[in-house]
Amino acid sequence: MGKLKQKGKAGAAINYINRSQALKKLQISLADFRRLCILKGIYPREPKNKKKANKGSTAPTTFYFIKDVQYLAHEPVLQKFREHKIFLRKLNKAIGKREFSIAKNLEQNKPIYTLDHILKERYPTFTDALRDLDDALCMLFLFSTFPATDKIKTEIVTNCQRLCVEFQHYVIHTRSLRKVFLSIKGIYYQAEIKGQTITWLVPYQFSQQVPDDVDFRVMLTFLEFYQTHLGFVNFKLYTDVNLVYPPKLDSSKDEGAAGLGALIIETTNNLVGLSSISHDSEIIKVESNNTDRKAESEKRLKTLSKKLATIKEQVESTSEIQPSIAEKSETTNYDDSAEIMDEFTEQNNISQDQKHILSKIYTYRDIQTASVALTEFENLFSNCIFYLSREVPRYSLEFTIRAFGGQVGWDETCGIGSPFNESDDRITHHIVDRPTLSHKFLPRIYVQPQWVYDCLNIRKLLKTDPYQPGKTLPPHLSPFVEHKEGDYVPDVKNEFEGDMERVEVSNEQEEEESSNEENDSDDDKPEIRSSHDKTIVNLPIKVNESDNEDMIHQMELEAEATGISFSKYQEQQDRLAKRQKTQSTNNTKAQQSSIQTVVTGKKRAAKEIEEKEVKELAKIMMTKKQKTLYNKIQYGKKKQQEKVENLQRKKREIISQQKKRPTSNNDDDNNNSNKKKTKHRK
Amino acid sequence: MQKTKTKILRVSKKISPKIKKIDENTSEEDIITRKIKKNDENTSDEDIIANLKIDMLSEEEENFSDLDSQSTKSADKEENDDSIEQHSENEKFVLDDITDNEEENENFNNETSEVGESNDYIAGDSLDENDLESNEDNKTLSESEETETHYVVGANGRPRKILPEIEPVYDSDSSTENPINSVGNIPMEWYDDYPHIGYDIDGKKIMKPAKGDELDKFLENMEDPDSWMSAKDNLLQQNVKLTDEELEIIRRIQMGSFPEKDFDPYEPTVEWFTSKPEVMPLNATPEPKRRFIPSKWEAKRIMKIVRAIRQGRIVLGKTQVQKPRFYNLWNENDQPREEHPMHIPAPKMKLPGHDESYNPPAEYLLTDKEKEEWEQMDPDDREKNYIPQKYSCLRNVPAYNRFIQERFNRCLDLYLAPRVRKNKLNIDPESLIPKLPNPKDLQPFPTSLTLSYDGHTGRVRCISIDPTGLWLVSGSDDKTIRLWEIITGRCVKTWEIEDIVYSIAWCPIREVCAFIFSCSNKVGVILPTGICDDEVALSTSQYVTSGFNITQRKDEKVKLVEWMKPTDEQNKNGILLFIHHAHNKTIKQIAWHRKGDYFSSISPDAGNQGILIHQLSKHQSQQPFRKTRGIVQCVKFHPIKPLFFVATQRYVRVYNLMKQELTRTLQSGVKWISSLDVHPMGDNVIVGSYDKKLCWFDLDLSPRPYRTLCYHTKAIRNVVYHKRLPLFASCSDDGSIQIFHGMVYNDLLQNPLIVPVKILKAGHQIVDSLGVLNCEFHPIQPWIISSGADHTIKLWT
Repeated sequence: MGKLKQKGKAGAAINYINRSQALKKLQISLADFRRLCILKGIYPREPKNKKKANKGSTAPTTFYFIKDVQYLAHEPVLQKFREHKIFLRKLNKAIGKREFSIAKNLEQNKPIYTLDHILKERYPTFTDALRDLDDALCMLFLFSTFPATDKIKTEIVTNCQRLCVEFQHYVIHTRSLRKVFLSIKGIYYQAEIKGQTITWLVPYQFSQQVPDDVDFRVMLTFLEFYQTHLGFVNFKLYTDVNLVYPPKLDSSKDEGAAGLGALIIETTNNLVGLSSISHDSEIIKVESNNTDRKAESEKRLKTLSKKLATIKEQVESTSEIQPSIAEKSETTNYDDSAEIMDEFTEQNNISQDQKHILSKIYTYRDIQTASVALTEFENLFSNCIFYLSREVPRYSLEFTIRAFGGQVGWDETCGIGSPFNESDDRITHHIVDRPTLSHKFLPRIYVQPQWVYDCLNIRKLLKTDPYQPGKTLPPHLSPFVEHKEGDYVPDVKNEFEGDMERVEVSNEQEEEESSNEENDSDDDKPEIRSSHDKTIVNLPIKVNESDNEDMIHQMELEAEATGISFSKYQEQQDRLAKRQKTQSTNNTKAQQSSIQTVVTGKKRAAKEIEEKEVKELAKIMMTKKQKTLYNKIQYGKKKQQEKVENLQRKKREIISQQKKRPTSNNDDDNNNSNKKKTKHRK
Repeated sequence: MQKTKTKILRVSKKISPKIKKIDENTSEEDIITRKIKKNDENTSDEDIIANLKIDMLSEEEENFSDLDSQSTKSADKEENDDSIEQHSENEKFVLDDITDNEEENENFNNETSEVGESNDYIAGDSLDENDLESNEDNKTLSESEETETHYVVGANGRPRKILPEIEPVYDSDSSTENPINSVGNIPMEWYDDYPHIGYDIDGKKIMKPAKGDELDKFLENMEDPDSWMSAKDNLLQQNVKLTDEELEIIRRIQMGSFPEKDFDPYEPTVEWFTSKPEVMPLNATPEPKRRFIPSKWEAKRIMKIVRAIRQGRIVLGKTQVQKPRFYNLWNENDQPREEHPMHIPAPKMKLPGHDESYNPPAEYLLTDKEKEEWEQMDPDDREKNYIPQKYSCLRNVPAYNRFIQERFNRCLDLYLAPRVRKNKLNIDPESLIPKLPNPKDLQPFPTSLTLSYDGHTGRVRCISIDPTGLWLVSGSDDKTIRLWEIITGRCVKTWEIEDIVYSIAWCPIREVCAFIFSCSNKVGVILPTGICDDEVALSTSQYVTSGFNITQRKDEKVKLVEWMKPTDEQNKNGILLFIHHAHNKTIKQIAWHRKGDYFSSISPDAGNQGILIHQLSKHQSQQPFRKTRGIVQCVKFHPIKPLFFVATQRYVRVYNLMKQELTRTLQSGVKWISSLDVHPMGDNVIVGSYDKKLCWFDLDLSPRPYRTLCYHTKAIRNVVYHKRLPLFASCSDDGSIQIFHGMVYNDLLQNPLIVPVKILKAGHQIVDSLGVLNCEFHPIQPWIISSGADHTIKLWT
């Protein structure tokens, strides 16, 4: 017999510790504990069994993992907290005694703590650090718009601003911005940096109203960590692309609200001012960028081919062609050998699971086209020169356009540093956000800001007609939504009529493809089944012809032996009989066939009902657990479906209303109401 | 010439007189002394203390008046006119602040000596000529006053002198005022709960002045132009107007300067210990050595610093070299963190959908109703924390006013929300449904409604099919029993019974063509003439009535039942006999033994006599259980073995009738068993319950159910097995009959196969929330016959 297990000596009872116990153990105040938790990224847990973790009580308690708290106990920052406490005491004492020299001395030797080691500990690799950058960026962008109050110091705000601008410069430099979405909350940006998608939300450029119900101590502790986080990430990002970190700050421009232009970005080799004004240098830069891009894409291609090779090894489809191709792909240059590379996926003798793997493999051509498409996308606005009118959000547009290779100028009232003024001839697009224009330059296109965002979300330059100033804009859709089967897909085709291609279309194509695939798989099934049938049916040859009952009985027995239920067997027999019948009655008239289809339709309905009934019956035999689970899943599905139906219903109503009412009226109404709103806001 | 103004505030035997102020700048010398007359030797110490209290009170007043006097002459006058006698002299009288205890002691000694001499107080502490003179003066005064003193009995029961009334003179500040409160220097909130605020010198209560409400106060404030310069006197609970001098003091205090205008903080020091060496030093100890050698501790301290400098811990003139704030924290050979089940990374924020757009498609906007719903919902319950909105252009988009809050909530979530790993179920719901054989393969079983036997006018509670499968009898609430031909649905015969027929059962053997029924406390046997040939009828009637000839046993203590012959009319109808039960409770169920000789009758309310077993051939009845445990719901005989199943509310007990013992107890786990049936093979039992459950027991396996199924929406009324085919059925109050395929294998290792094959619905109507009351399988065919609360019997084939 083994040792008797005692209660409360193992498992949840000792794995978890509640907060007051943790405070007692660490001998710190709750405020210090909170700060430590934030800095170290320690969070409460939910034990599987609360009763076991809490000595049999089910009272709501916050549990921490015991090891987390143990690690906290010898955290250098904790020691610094204590030192700081002592320092404060000493300082107060000195000031109280009016010993100012001592106080000054103390002040100079104030204990300072850094969070570098915590950052490294929390994010052992750079990828980890990038993955968790979302919250950091959101927070820093928020604080960079904050007014300095007694709680929030100016230095913090300026530091936030600087870090954000640095990060934006990196995104512009590497062209890694992917998606932008204008929501009612703010502007969502999504960038792809080193394979990680990073999404952040930037509030609209308004002065923030600082609410009362927010504990800024918590926010500032987070901010403290996030500043370190983004600082180190920026450093690594800059040095990885041979840029000097920290970039120099042009103070005169900074004062003039130049925004992004205030920082001077330098490569480690030669000075290239990204924000330089002269056109020539811009071109040089673009070229250099392009070369960079090319080199990068080449590099990427190489690694991909390597990956391809490894995947192929996994597949092990033994043919000699593949390794040779792989070798070639490594040796030959991608420009000339593209023709040889592709089509190696078409192989005949592949088993099903291998097929499954292969479906994910891309051909070399695919990769190449993809990379070309990507570079095209990254230089979406490279041929455009934008001018921003006074009323458009300059910071957002400047960042977005430059992140896609475009050039931007803006009105002087928005800030200094515009590379060209309004009357410049090179300007191709003029972004305005006002209903009517007093003066128009003929050669340029006037668009509303949404055009820029829609273009980059769709990855193509859209037709500008629907985006002309004063027009009702087509709806702005979220690029983050991936439509799954059964989801509601907003229909906005009408707005994009013409020569424009829509992502929706491609999506639909994909869907179609997928549905085709499904169909294929459906098709496959009967085939398999039929083959299965053959194996069974092959035994008794020409069943129907044999009238002998013994024969039938024999067949039944055989079928039973092979493990086929009687009903299936009967179905098979029926099918066989039908086939024969159809063969015999091939010459009958078309009408008959039509009647048959009707009959079959009825039969199908009956069959469906039957199947439903069988399912209903089978549900009886489900265990309680299965039943609840099943009901839950069905409930979720139903909810989803209800939502979709609700949207569809609304859409239908809107369409019917639009038909009733002339559209122009409607637009006017909209405009008026909006105007009222704006007035009200002002 | 120096003027010293002193005031003796308090004089007593124990406490030395104190000098309040020394003012050298004042031109006039006046010594104001307060005399308190000492009574003769009879007065005790307590009197003195009482007097002292008075003095302490007046002291405060005097502080003020004293200060006043310094500035103006009129104030001086006031002083002189003080209620308590004061005496002033134009003599120089310098009194020093006393700091030393010794001196105080000295004073005390002096004083006591003086007290011994004159029984009076002195106005100074140092013996001086002037002082002596003043003492003399005092003496004379006191003598003169002694003559006027009167005595009353004080609060403590001792005589206390009454001081003479003082003439209120013009300008006297206290005379016209309220009586002086003599409670002393105590916290005045002690009197908060009393109507008075203390006592005057005579020990009478001083009542609190009437207090107006806030409005009065306000009005007072508004009316009185001097309200701004009045302060509340805590002692008398009154507002006292401050004088100009007092205001001046307040002003000076506010300014942070000394309250007294004339106070000089920088007056020349009086050198008590001069720098000049005295001819006679105060003590003769030689100078210690430490005065002449350098300090050891200083040296130590300095050496510490020197060492630190040498070691480089302290760098002189160090300019702080700023390390770069950021550096390369990560390098190539970083090892990623190992996956640990306790490490739960924070989930990323949810990405926005179409409806969060500033310009979403119109269908995403909420209708008014939805908006209202959203607003009424608790903020925590809302699916989305915003209302979708549409703006015609980007210019119109306002700032999102909950941005900071949402960011803050995210922060809270990150560090405060407990994290738990939840596996998202990614299973096809269809895979949860068990794969069962197709019901088509399990035919035959009843599938559809074929016949309806109408005729009853009450609920049909019970039905029974004769062993040949041709006839059906049914008992109903309309107090009739009807005999039906199954195939045609023809009602062959009807018997009128005096009460509701609760149970009915054909004799299971073919040789006997008779059935028994139960109504109230009677069990009857009926021979349905006309459906069987005469021979069988004759043999049956002989078999049933032969018992009358056997002499009854007389040894029975209590007669349980009485076997009675029916009346002639009844006999004509085919009723062969009645069994009257001694208990007058309703018999709810009767069950045959397979051999057709024994049957059991149950009445749940009859207690001990609830279960009786009757022998038809011998007309004998017995009570198998001396005591029944629980309320008996139903009973069944085992089809092969001499076992007897008794179902109480929760348990099914199996008794061996041969050995007369309890063999096993089946624990159903249901709340209230309604019915029970035993498989024809005898190893399996099904139990239906009023709480919608059906339990299948495998007697070889366990006393707990092998399967418990819950599929009816209402209580199960009856469960039955088919006699030959692997079928069983349950009928319920929800109006449906559920047919199962219940295959029992001979192989003991193989579990029985239970497959639901058919739900027979839409037959019986639900009346008063009662549906199908009973059902029974046809003994040969795969048919089932059910009876319902809607007065009908149905045949399903």
